Amino acid sequence: MTPYWDCNFFTFFIVMIQRAFFFLTGHAEALASDEIQIGVLSAVAISCGMIGPFLVLNRMTMLANSLSHTILLGISLAALAAGLLWGGEWFDITTLLAGSFIAALLTAFCTETLTRFFRLQEDASIGLVFTGLFALGITIVTLYLRDVHLGVEAVMGNADALQLSDIRLPALLIGINGVILFVFFKQFQLASFDRSLAQTLGIPVGVFRYLLLFLTAATCIGAFRAVGVILVLSLLTGPYLIARLFCCRLTALLVWTPVVGVASVCIGVALSRHLLNVHGLALSTGGIVTGTIALIYIFVKIIFHFRKKWQRALFSV
Amino acid sequence: MIDYFIDPILRAPTWGCMLMCLSSSLMGVIVFLRKKSLLSESLSHASYPGVVLGVAFLASFFPFAEEWAFLVVLIGAFGSSLLGLYGIEWLEKKGKVFPDAALSFILSVFFGVGIVAASALQGSHPSWFKQVQMLIFGQAATMTDIHIVIYGFLACFIVLFLIAVYRPLQAVLFDAGYAHSLGIRATWLERSLFSLLLISIIVGMRSVGVILMSGMLIAPAVAARQYTNRLPIVFFLSGLFGVGSALIGHILSVEGSLHWSTPESRFSLPTGPFIVLVSTAWALFSLCFAPKRGVVFRLARIFAFRLRCLQENILKYLWKKKSSSSKDLHSLHRSSLFSLHWVLRRMVRHGWLQKKCGSYELTGDGYQKAAQVVRLHRLWEVYLTHSLGREVERVHKNAEEMEHILTPDLEQRLTLLLANPKKDPHHQPIPDKYSL
Repeated sequence: MTPYWDCNFFTFFIVMIQRAFFFLTGHAEALASDEIQIGVLSAVAISCGMIGPFLVLNRMTMLANSLSHTILLGISLAALAAGLLWGGEWFDITTLLAGSFIAALLTAFCTETLTRFFRLQEDASIGLVFTGLFALGITIVTLYLRDVHLGVEAVMGNADALQLSDIRLPALLIGINGVILFVFFKQFQLASFDRSLAQTLGIPVGVFRYLLLFLTAATCIGAFRAVGVILVLSLLTGPYLIARLFCCRLTALLVWTPVVGVASVCIGVALSRHLLNVHGLALSTGGIVTGTIALIYIFVKIIFHFRKKWQRALFSV
Repeated sequence: MIDYFIDPILRAPTWGCMLMCLSSSLMGVIVFLRKKSLLSESLSHASYPGVVLGVAFLASFFPFAEEWAFLVVLIGAFGSSLLGLYGIEWLEKKGKVFPDAALSFILSVFFGVGIVAASALQGSHPSWFKQVQMLIFGQAATMTDIHIVIYGFLACFIVLFLIAVYRPLQAVLFDAGYAHSLGIRATWLERSLFSLLLISIIVGMRSVGVILMSGMLIAPAVAARQYTNRLPIVFFLSGLFGVGSALIGHILSVEGSLHWSTPESRFSLPTGPFIVLVSTAWALFSLCFAPKRGVVFRLARIFAFRLRCLQENILKYLWKKKSSSSKDLHSLHRSSLFSLHWVLRRMVRHGWLQKKCGSYELTGDGYQKAAQVVRLHRLWEVYLTHSLGREVERVHKNAEEMEHILTPDLEQRLTLLLANPKKDPHHQPIPDKYSL
């Protein structure tokens, strides 16, 4: 029995704050499954929110979409290789990181080859690469595990069956993303806003592009247990688009994007509990978080739309 | 094999797959040429919530109409992907969001909403939920004849519409401004094309699946574009490749399911990944080996040209120096020693060079060829200085490149234009055409 068992949307937050207070004052209790869920999803949201701004600014979100598909092939190849070499497990951390590395390299390499070497237009080469590689990944997974279900789960994620150990990977990725972005912040910033200036200053723009792709792939892997490969896209782009509505400096955006992400995770989970406890609907929490992001975007957009009118009305009087 | 087309149980999935992929590969040409291939990716994902909501609607109000579920699926999918299309346009225009960010935001948000709806359906109507899940990776095996009639009707509608609007479509695809000046109502055409795109996506979903649908729009068009420059042939080939890969992919998935399942556990492979794999493989093959545009032939052309340049440069060098060792040639040309030796041996075999005590000399044939190259070089220098008014010091570099490119026809016209000159701007003699 969790302490949240009959909470509605508002009492959920009250109970959460109470328990956090107890936790901080030393009356620690075992973590409830809802708190684990919020923790894992928040970690995912923070790690996505760190690289989301750079992805959007570099116009690489569709490439991130294609990466989020191809990591399935990357993981299955890494797992097959690991299984052959040292009998590794599917959800082993080395396998997953190796898979993300393979996926990032494969996707970026194939897409660049198609555009540069085969002279195919960029949108078509992105589309061709990820659908082909994803189809291959699905086939390998289906044949290897003799089950279509894992493919579906990889696409959709399962936010309602998380354990405390699932937080390790996203937390590790927050660390990796944080360290790399902190060290190379200047380079990433320059490469996102002014490619040619970055090149003249001697920054290897291509290397940083690949680095960003690798971080994206790793982040997708961290997210894919929890929210699946498609919903991670909404955590990569959505919070940035929301934050962009009310601030415009990159450093501020880098703070606000994870904050917005965590806020939408909390609201989404509370909403999901509300629907479960009050209306008896057991819904996919990952999907609700995505829906929440869209709702927040619309809400903030409307507020900022009318704020101008209100200001005008106030000042003209 | 023929069973796949006439057997009462096997024929429906086969014909269904082929018709579905026909319509999507035809519309794929249009999005490919407009450079909007990724739009199809977003729209196919955006159709998912509509599918689920449509099925949920049917399940709660008409629980016995299970065989009509696919019609509701079509309507729901059309509605929600239309909403997705408006969402993308609104984000781009009103929200000032980058196009790719708008595409991926709409894609993930709609898919997320679809997942929420699907989880609600899973709780209330588990058997209907299974039907919806099948649409994620496509499952052709459960189609019946009634599906073929509907899908066939939609596919025919798309083909007929494309034929009917072919002229204005061509104008809009290649030059929107020109189309406007012709009085073509481009916005109207655009809207109907987008609706057709939505129809082709939702029609194809049953066999290819929501997630891989965009592959079916992109890959046949990419392959078809490799073989021709003419629009009607691109359409025809793309349709052909789409139908072909649907057929092969479907057969592979059926045979694969039979092969991998054991008596204890039935195992059915999804159709979509196989169809997409076949069409992607064909697209890659075409990118490599298509005549003229294929990368292999392009590399071969580049290689042949480089080889000719190197050969002609060696001939020219020997024409000036009379004889030279391979070491001198190597220091002159920036090619590897191995390829230089290969080229030299090749030239000896052609009878242009002969080897005398470790150094190479021109034969009679080789002398003529070399003189021809020098003649082209110097003719071009004369043309640059006399006809184009370039300074004498600056003509050599350009002529170094042009000597490999000038054709006999151009040479004749240059000779006529310049009245068969005897000296080049540097006062060197030009080898005469008739003395060669």
